[in-house]
Amino acid sequence: MLRRDPLANPEPLIRRVYAYVAYRVGDGPDAEDLTSETFERALRYKKSYDPTKGEPVQWLLGIAKRCVDGRGPRLELASEWVDEAAPGDVEEEAIRRLSVSRAVATLDERDRELIALRYGADLTARQIAELLGARTNAIEVALHRALARLRGTFGETDDAPPVRKREATR
Amino acid sequence: MRYWRRRQEPFDLEAELKSARPEPSNEFVRTLESRVRHDGRSRVGTLRVAFVGAITAVMLVALGSVGGVGYASSAAQDAAVSVKRVVQPKKVVRVLKKSPAIDQYGGKKKAKKKVKKAKKGKGAKGRVKARTRPPFTG
Repeated sequence: MLRRDPLANPEPLIRRVYAYVAYRVGDGPDAEDLTSETFERALRYKKSYDPTKGEPVQWLLGIAKRCVDGRGPRLELASEWVDEAAPGDVEEEAIRRLSVSRAVATLDERDRELIALRYGADLTARQIAELLGARTNAIEVALHRALARLRGTFGETDDAPPVRKREATR
Repeated sequence: MRYWRRRQEPFDLEAELKSARPEPSNEFVRTLESRVRHDGRSRVGTLRVAFVGAITAVMLVALGSVGGVGYASSAAQDAAVSVKRVVQPKKVVRVLKKSPAIDQYGGKKKAKKKVKKAKKGKGAKGRVKARTRPPFTG
């Protein structure tokens, strides 16, 4: 019987992997390099994909995680751009993106990874738990704490709505 | 940071994280997508060839087990012979008389048979007798 191709529809996978990588190492050429490397490895080891263990995106994110971990963190680029650019020159959307990236960059490695998997790659808490080999409950709590720390980074703790646990696990 | 401090309205951090997620450039997505698709296609082609080869092998084994291969080959041979018979022009068959006698007498012209004239009076009976006589072979 022929196996299902995990890379049959690569475009949404590329976007999700890139978002995850960019949340971890910063938006730009480094993230592109790591995303390319992830897909190169995925093509090389396509036979190792086991559909019973999860969706193709989880498999790809596992590869991306190893690529990023093997490379080491570099996260200065996004935060510098925001301060240098005048608000009137750049579109509001772009500033918002960069500000979020900058805030995420201030988190520690573990929190950043959780945020990247949950909001960059759009995985559920259960999928993250499967990927990281942890309990879903533990991931939910860790995400809750990471969001709280991120909110503190923005300095909006009073204004921002409380983090809903259910939303984080969705 | 300044951007967020300027905003007075409360914001949904999770929604912001989702909506402001980093996006790759379209060019990068297209390039990587084509590379992935190209690789997948070439492997699918190889798989197809392998699949066809496997099916052929299975059919040959199945036919061979019931003598189908011999039957098919003989049928093909018969068909080929039939076609050849129809298409190929008939050859003029030359029968070469080869015998030890040709070596000995081949170069010489055959002597004309002298038919003895029938004697008058004997009639047709004598002529017939002369013609039917076997040739002298020495």
